[in-house]
Amino acid sequence: MSDVYKSVVKPILAGFGITRRRLMQRRKKYADVTVQYPDELREQYPRTRWRHFLTRYDNGLEKCIGCSLCAGACPARCIFVEAAENTDEARFSPGERYAVRYEINMIRCIFCGYCQDACPTGAIILRKDFELADYRREDFIYTKEMLLEEYPGQSEEPFESKVGGVYVNG
Amino acid sequence: MAAAPTTDTVTISINDVEIEVPKGELIVDAVKRLGLEIPIFCYHSRMKPVGMCRMCLVEVGFKQPDGSVRKMPKPQAGCTLPASEGMAVYTDTELVHKDRRGVLEFLLINHPLDCPICDRGGECPLQNNTLFYGPSTSRFIELKRHLPKAFPLSRYVTLDLERCIQCGRCVRFTEEISGDAQLAFRFRGANMQPTSFQLTEFESKFSGNVIEICPVGALTSTKYRFRARPWDLETKPAICTVCSNGCSVWFDYRVGKFVRLNGRVNEAVNEEWTCDRGKFGHDFYNSPKRLLAPALRKEDALRTANWAEAYAAILEAFEPGGNAVAALTGPMVSNESYYLLQKLFRGVFRSNNLDHRWTRHLSAASDRLESKMGMPTVATSIEAFEHKSAVLAIGTSLADEEPILFLRLRKAWFKNGTKVVVACDRDTDADSFAHLVLRYRPGTEMALAGGLLAAAVESGRATVPDPVREDLKRYSPSAAASATGVPEDRIREAADILGPNAAIVTTHRLLDVADAQGTLEYLAGLAMCLRAEFNLYALGANDQGALELGIHPELLPSGVALADAEAAAEVGRTMGIEIPREPGLGTHELLRACADGRIKALWLVGCDPFALHADRDLVQRALEGVEFLVVQDIVETEATSYASVILPMLGPAEQDGTYTNMERRVQRLRQVIPDAGDAKPAWRIFAEAMLRAQPQTPFFSAEEIMEEIARVAPAFEVARYDRLGHEGTRL
Repeated sequence: MSDVYKSVVKPILAGFGITRRRLMQRRKKYADVTVQYPDELREQYPRTRWRHFLTRYDNGLEKCIGCSLCAGACPARCIFVEAAENTDEARFSPGERYAVRYEINMIRCIFCGYCQDACPTGAIILRKDFELADYRREDFIYTKEMLLEEYPGQSEEPFESKVGGVYVNG
Repeated sequence: MAAAPTTDTVTISINDVEIEVPKGELIVDAVKRLGLEIPIFCYHSRMKPVGMCRMCLVEVGFKQPDGSVRKMPKPQAGCTLPASEGMAVYTDTELVHKDRRGVLEFLLINHPLDCPICDRGGECPLQNNTLFYGPSTSRFIELKRHLPKAFPLSRYVTLDLERCIQCGRCVRFTEEISGDAQLAFRFRGANMQPTSFQLTEFESKFSGNVIEICPVGALTSTKYRFRARPWDLETKPAICTVCSNGCSVWFDYRVGKFVRLNGRVNEAVNEEWTCDRGKFGHDFYNSPKRLLAPALRKEDALRTANWAEAYAAILEAFEPGGNAVAALTGPMVSNESYYLLQKLFRGVFRSNNLDHRWTRHLSAASDRLESKMGMPTVATSIEAFEHKSAVLAIGTSLADEEPILFLRLRKAWFKNGTKVVVACDRDTDADSFAHLVLRYRPGTEMALAGGLLAAAVESGRATVPDPVREDLKRYSPSAAASATGVPEDRIREAADILGPNAAIVTTHRLLDVADAQGTLEYLAGLAMCLRAEFNLYALGANDQGALELGIHPELLPSGVALADAEAAAEVGRTMGIEIPREPGLGTHELLRACADGRIKALWLVGCDPFALHADRDLVQRALEGVEFLVVQDIVETEATSYASVILPMLGPAEQDGTYTNMERRVQRLRQVIPDAGDAKPAWRIFAEAMLRAQPQTPFFSAEEIMEEIARVAPAFEVARYDRLGHEGTRL
């Protein structure tokens, strides 16, 4: 009899005990375990690496010089860069060279951040926008137009969630 | 190494390892025998050492009688130091490492660190050496030297003076290898600049090589500028098909598109050099005028069709066969394709109307030097020119027509003192090192050739049959001198220079002059009498192959003449076809027959008659006159607008195949670049046409065709794919 109590009843009661304890604690410690996504977005850790951006200098010139070092460093071989020469009439970046085509295949990307490490000008930066899902495979090829900031510092601003309309710190 | 078979050897020690090396071998080369590497910038094994960059410093000492080593007080430059007995070299001591760090720090003082945008970045000896031997940081905080960036030295070469480390490789290349000496150093010390004199355009015919030998990104290719980085590129071995030299090259391509071409080492052909014509002459692969789908003329307009429709139309038009059909070919087609074309025409269309020649003079089969005089027209290999005592180059500007042969000839003169006689009606680049220049009046080639032979006969060094002796009276040296405008003593001297170890060089360009046949016979006679070698080199990439494989109205594969009924029938049996007996027409006659309407259907394979034939008017009348015109080509040409059917053909590097260069070296070119559009290899087009005309087992690969070629033309036995080495094989 005592065996039945020890091996069956006691563990069950102990289990319910844990449940009761958690129920009591819920409001305090585990209040934010579940986030009501997409109505709410969780705050990202400081070094989170998600969507890439090509940034600009304060004077508006692109930081990217089309050197293709990111493509060389990329372990997933998902970056394609085609360079061209700046002229005085059409100047995109300081110096002689700029990227005329810059594409990242987001399906292949593993978000390791090596491209950011390799970049000699700090042009490519992985920011915190993680809402990268899409419907068609072709839409995962991010072109230069999609990656490039419209104005300096744009990528550091909070971004808008695609689904919930909630602004989160970027 | 091959050039020094029986030299004395000395024993030296490298890092305390004793090794025997040829006496006088440079230390920088000697250490390679132990698998060691001394970092270098200015040293280049094909040029004289100068010791300018000091990168190759090593510690050197000599063995003393008591067995100890007494080191020299200062490090020595390994590139200028010849090995001598008892020398002890140290490449891996603390002092050497410190020296290398110091030299690199010094070179990097003024070198801008714009590696991310430099075309050399990723394949740069300065980057590599700095990474392996240099300091990891810079102590230099002052302002660097600033000079013009991206100065256009020529249409092919861009000069960035900031990046130059003054190694002098480019300057020495133009002085020692190409010989045009167009680059030189201006100013001294840190301000030293390699530029052309007076900053004029650098218009060497070999300027592309300085891009490759520059150890930094100072000289870069204008065409390749910012096109790709080295790690973006895929690289495969190939051969150049722009001229008949058949240089070994590397093809660099990116996402399936040809990007650039670099020289590949092939000691037998181009060593490691390329000419500008080849290096920058492969634009057609990416041409916007590429033909990508077959087209058929319907209601007076060319409309895209599929291959089945195209073949059906062609076979219907070529059905009459015999004298009513013909084919003309260009030079950039593989051996396999030539062979199948002639098999298609002889076997299916029962016609010998085939030709690959576009020169004004077309030798009849009976007039060819091989059959008439028993004289081979290709005797000397490119490599063999180095050891010739004398060479007569007549009627050709070698730097333009056979650029790599030109470099080899110049090397022969530069290294071994070969006496070069240049006979041409205009200035040529070879004049600069010629022992003798014979500048004859245009059109007097025959008089000069006769004069040379007559001079050799007069001096008693040559004996000729009496009828020839009689004939030569027209061209006694004095008569030849007045006819050609070349001084008589020069004609005599030129004839005296030639001897048993000499070679006479001319190209198919000589077939464009008046009296080409007579000129050739005199030259061949001169070579025969003096036991010299005679060479009539082809100009197009595979002209020689077309000749060997019977793209000729009177010759069958392996050079069997159609007139030789028994041999011709035997060749036909091996091919499995019946050879038509009636000889075909040569290019000119053939075009005239097209203009007259005697030929109903003409097939142009990789050739634009407007560009190749001298008589534009005749070409136009021919292409307008012929009822059915098939234009099979890589890119759109002037001829395509006359076409009834357009067949898109793949370029040489887009298919498997072999090419026969001017010294009869067969080299394999594997497919490097992916297929373009709907285009097919030429051999496949012919194979499919044959299959549709007569049910048979088709050829599935170029290799199978080479197997059959080797049976039909036994000379090609050595060219079977499993036997062809990476340097190719001479037939």
